[in-house]
Amino acid sequence: MNRAIPYYFLLPALLLLGVFVLYPMAEVVGFSFLHYSFFGPHEFAGLGNYSRLFQDGDFWRTLLNSLLCVLVTPILMAVSLALALSVRHQVHRASGVRLLLFLPVITPVVVVGIMWRWIFNEDTGIINYLLSLLTVRPVHWLTQYPVNLGSVLILTLWRGFGYYMMLFLAGLALIPKEIEEASLLDGVTPWQQATRIILPNLKPTLLFMAVVSSSAAIKLFTEVYVLIPGVPMNNKTLVAFLYRQAFERFDFGYGSAIAVVLFALTFALSAANIRIMEDRA
Amino acid sequence: MTAARRLVLLIASVAAVAPFLWLLSTSLKGAEELFAYPPRLIPSTIVWENYRGVWNAIPMAAYFINTTIVTVTAVTLNLLLSSLAGFAFARFRFRAQRPLFYAVIAAILIPKEVIILPLYAMVLRMHLADSLTGVVLPFAVDGLGIFLMRQAFAAIPREVEDAARVDGASPLRLWWDVMLPMTRPTLATLAIFTFIGAWGDFLWPLVVLKSPEHYTLQVGLSFMTGTFVDNFRYVAAGAVLSLLPVLIVFMLMQKHFERGLFAGSTH
Repeated sequence: MNRAIPYYFLLPALLLLGVFVLYPMAEVVGFSFLHYSFFGPHEFAGLGNYSRLFQDGDFWRTLLNSLLCVLVTPILMAVSLALALSVRHQVHRASGVRLLLFLPVITPVVVVGIMWRWIFNEDTGIINYLLSLLTVRPVHWLTQYPVNLGSVLILTLWRGFGYYMMLFLAGLALIPKEIEEASLLDGVTPWQQATRIILPNLKPTLLFMAVVSSSAAIKLFTEVYVLIPGVPMNNKTLVAFLYRQAFERFDFGYGSAIAVVLFALTFALSAANIRIMEDRA
Repeated sequence: MTAARRLVLLIASVAAVAPFLWLLSTSLKGAEELFAYPPRLIPSTIVWENYRGVWNAIPMAAYFINTTIVTVTAVTLNLLLSSLAGFAFARFRFRAQRPLFYAVIAAILIPKEVIILPLYAMVLRMHLADSLTGVVLPFAVDGLGIFLMRQAFAAIPREVEDAARVDGASPLRLWWDVMLPMTRPTLATLAIFTFIGAWGDFLWPLVVLKSPEHYTLQVGLSFMTGTFVDNFRYVAAGAVLSLLPVLIVFMLMQKHFERGLFAGSTH
């Protein structure tokens, strides 16, 4: 058989990945060491972009905000696990109910943002109306930091809970029924059952969710762009800061330095998540 | 016990669906009822006018056509190229197999957000800025798709391949005629995930597209929220319209979506 054949099959896909993913990754690292504006010539900057970045208040604030977004991961996991445990064996039969629970996650983020911007509207929104019935004064859901970051987190939580609940149910369905039943007969308390039997068996699900959810949270952009467009940069996230520098100020060198930091963070998060899970095993 | 479980399930479903109902309700309200106090979930008169209004106020038809082109192309290319590459990784032994597969894994680990800047510079150099080609081409294949298809092809028994070779099938025929139909469930899963991703994609189209007649739905909608600050009924109607295709495709392919989900969580 012709030894070149496998390479013909691989060529189109790997060419695209090489040109549009791997090469740009090398380029972004290279750009981060340049003074490179869209409008002017570029020259070597050494670590100039990074030292500027580490002195930029907006960088530290948006970084802090993005790390705060990651807090949504443990909350999301706890809420969806609690929901999954309390509805076990009920959901799988009704595909209509599953459709409703999946609806938030399949909906385009822009649509979700539009929806919640209306709900959170400070003058006419439904949430402030409901709060007024409880004689609570209007909350500045969209304009006041850090409340508006909290609104972004509420949106994220709402968008993910049904999806993660279904993931947990799938994981729970894999635990052999006999093990749980036998443990109950042995006089194990529900708490012991949860920590010694259910959680260890859910490890692959938990790991998958921790990695996916936290790396999505650190990259949060569209939610912020649509929900709280007008607020100052220091209320926003790291990718919003990257977008501003790269595509509104066209400072490609500086933007690339932000992108490199973002890459380091997503990489560190995935690695950390995997380490934490392995230590618990 | 069962009653309590049903109640939790009911609350969860209502929480998931309530914001959609509120959006739908808003899109069907008249101007005078939009800010009614107290707010009403079911409008006193259903006003379909907002849908025609938004359709005429912005180039909604163009947005729909553009998004459809982008999504259909993205799904077709990802399925085709991922299955070609997945087939090679699963069914051949060749010298550069390991390093090339590591390259695919590396591509999976690189977030889109990290590389959009050099990608945009590249798209400018290639004169693809402000074009749908520029939106689709850079992400026409994703590493995860190759990974999924490799698993699907690897699960096909050796005998199938042997029988096809005895019949004199070329590698291309073995891939297309014999094995690709056997990976149909995985193809369907990949198709629905790619569809949802491409239809709702925002950041990259926002960066690439500059002229309104080239916008996708999500980009157009995001700018509409700025333009129609005083007419949220139009924005709501536009949002509902852009959601409909996702909803229909999802309902048709829910089974495949769920299979992908559960496969992902157990590996």
